Amino acid sequence: MISNAETPVITLIGPPNSGKTTIFNILSGKNFKTVNYPGSTVEYYTSRILAKYNIHAELLDSPGLISLIPDSLDEQVTINSLYHHPRLGTPQLLIATVDASQLSRHLLLPVQLLKSGFNVIIALTMNDLLQKRNIYVSIEKLKEELGCSIIQINGRTKEGIGRLIKEMNSNLEDIRNNGRQIPVPYEQIVQNESLVDTFLEIEKITNKVLEFKTEVEEINLKNANEQLKVHPSILQNNGFTTDEVTLKLDRVLLNKYWGFLIFILVMGLTFTSIFWLAQPVMDLVDEMFSELNNIVLTNFQSGWFTNLVAEGIISGVGSVLVFVPQIIILFVILGLLEDSGYLARGAMLIDKPLSKIGLNGRSFVPMLSGFACAIPAMLAARTIPNRKERLLTIFIIPLMSCSARLPVFALLIAYLVPRDKLWLGGFLLAGIYLFGVTISIIIASILNRFRQKLFKAEDTSTFILELPTYRVPKLSSVLNHTYNSSKEYLLRAGPVILVFSILLWFLVYFPNTNPQIEIEGLTQVEISQIEKSERLEHSYASSIGKFIQPVMSPLGLDWRVGVSLISAFAAREVFVSSLALTFKVTVEDEEANKNTLLNSLKNATIGNTNEKLFTTATTLGLIVFFIFALQCISTIAVSRKETGGWRIPVIQVFVFTTLAYVMALITVNGLKFLGIN
Amino acid sequence: MKTAAELNFGERGTIAEIDCTHPSSRRILEFGFTPGQVIELFSKATFNDPLAILIRGSLIAIRKSEADCIKLK
Repeated sequence: MISNAETPVITLIGPPNSGKTTIFNILSGKNFKTVNYPGSTVEYYTSRILAKYNIHAELLDSPGLISLIPDSLDEQVTINSLYHHPRLGTPQLLIATVDASQLSRHLLLPVQLLKSGFNVIIALTMNDLLQKRNIYVSIEKLKEELGCSIIQINGRTKEGIGRLIKEMNSNLEDIRNNGRQIPVPYEQIVQNESLVDTFLEIEKITNKVLEFKTEVEEINLKNANEQLKVHPSILQNNGFTTDEVTLKLDRVLLNKYWGFLIFILVMGLTFTSIFWLAQPVMDLVDEMFSELNNIVLTNFQSGWFTNLVAEGIISGVGSVLVFVPQIIILFVILGLLEDSGYLARGAMLIDKPLSKIGLNGRSFVPMLSGFACAIPAMLAARTIPNRKERLLTIFIIPLMSCSARLPVFALLIAYLVPRDKLWLGGFLLAGIYLFGVTISIIIASILNRFRQKLFKAEDTSTFILELPTYRVPKLSSVLNHTYNSSKEYLLRAGPVILVFSILLWFLVYFPNTNPQIEIEGLTQVEISQIEKSERLEHSYASSIGKFIQPVMSPLGLDWRVGVSLISAFAAREVFVSSLALTFKVTVEDEEANKNTLLNSLKNATIGNTNEKLFTTATTLGLIVFFIFALQCISTIAVSRKETGGWRIPVIQVFVFTTLAYVMALITVNGLKFLGIN
Repeated sequence: MKTAAELNFGERGTIAEIDCTHPSSRRILEFGFTPGQVIELFSKATFNDPLAILIRGSLIAIRKSEADCIKLK
């Protein structure tokens, strides 16, 4: 018996697509935070239950689970934490979600939980789906069969939440007074029971609790005939028919011929839309920050502090914030695709091609998340049961063009593409993504040949995945998720960017703060510009940059880009803010009031010559460099953790950085050779 | 003995047994593929693999090699 002096813990648990998240959102409002399972990186949500429901308890969400016998790493972690959470202990109460329209499959988990000795309330969802087919679940009988409380919930109308709360309260009250049982790990008791027996047991239950009702009031011949036709097949299929709309849609979307074509189209559309949907918002943010910069520079006394605020902080942070709209749009589109149920189809359609190069259909979602950020993507790879496939997926994830690279690509593309041809930018960005994917396929297939040596793991490859019923995505939950992901991204990247902006500002501003120059016969504007370039010429940054000049020259770039590339190793998006810092101070603006980074880049020249620094060739070379280079300390750290050693991350850094330099070299000089400059 | 991997489009079959020597057999059972269940081949992906199979009212994507250990009556 355990006594409960502290806050009770309630865990939500259920198979994927059983309406678990909907219930979590209703109970928690928007106050949840993301936490990792202690000692691991599997993420889950936790929250206090909303005050209006009047339950003092900690609510814990958990990843979707089919059965209490784990099959992959993240399932193992989830199940272990269920029995004994290192920080929160064993939950006092479990709320198990069960999709009523899939009763016979979804009852497996609650039956296992109950056998294991957990205190369970079942939340029965999607009852309306079943009722449409005139099938009802007898709550009383189900309660009797299972011996736990059953509450019907309607996720859309929130009907039943009140009853669930009441039941939770009286349940907690009960264990407070009478104590509770400690659950025994299911794997210990399951030995003398087979899955087939459990399913037979469940089938007996479902046969008892499902009732077929017909509306007696409106009998007409047609209706009666239809029901006669429907009934036998319902019984044959264990009481369940599949959602008709889903089947109709899947006849097209999973069509042997059309399916793959549509899939490629959907993915292409996703990535082009990121670029053109975000453009207007990005322009707005960009102008706002240059305006702010100007206000500070013109209204305050000139000196190092004003300069720090204007050039170091405002420009540095602004040049990265400008890309938040794109990141948000990426998260929204991925969320909509996931919520609609299409992503699972994508995984199925791509399984065969991926298995050819040593990956798995389940690699698809981690790879797709890689376009947002490599870190959650590597964590998502935990759903791949096969170790070799999981390691290979983690290996190539850095090649998926993550949102931190978006700022860099967006800047360089905007530089290449004329303003009246924005659609071209979209195509170019799609091209970059496609190129990244192609390269990752090539690298994966090469590595696949050496897999025995590299990954030292061999177990059978497997792919079984439920294709959920299609539904209209719930915009509110997608937006909610986007808000949280974007916030997390900003909190993670923001401080790094700020610190590096200030550090870089320091390197370009010092030690020569007050250069002595001839000021006779010069205007005020000219003086400040000559001062700026004098200062930079003798700055710390310049010394560092000139040291690496020999490496940069073959790429047709100079030390200023070199400094930015080095600082980008902290995090890629720092590249943009450091470009802003070094170039805005070295370049004279033709239009003083349009002090944007793009203009500065256009006017940049190599050394004291008139040769433009950013030509088509060098800009494309930079893009290629960023496609390959693994410039992200956090990614390297997560890769080490997820692969269980330094081996893979070290190979990753070496391979990707070498490739980046060599490929950029080939691009720049190849283009120059072809006469494109 | 015919297996689920050999079904034609739209063809139905009743599961007789699951080959439990296959490493994925437990997961296959957990997805509800138990003896006596009626399954239907709904579609195949572009390269004929994986298959989408209807069982217990839901659609499950499964590789041909794994569907092969679902023996039908």
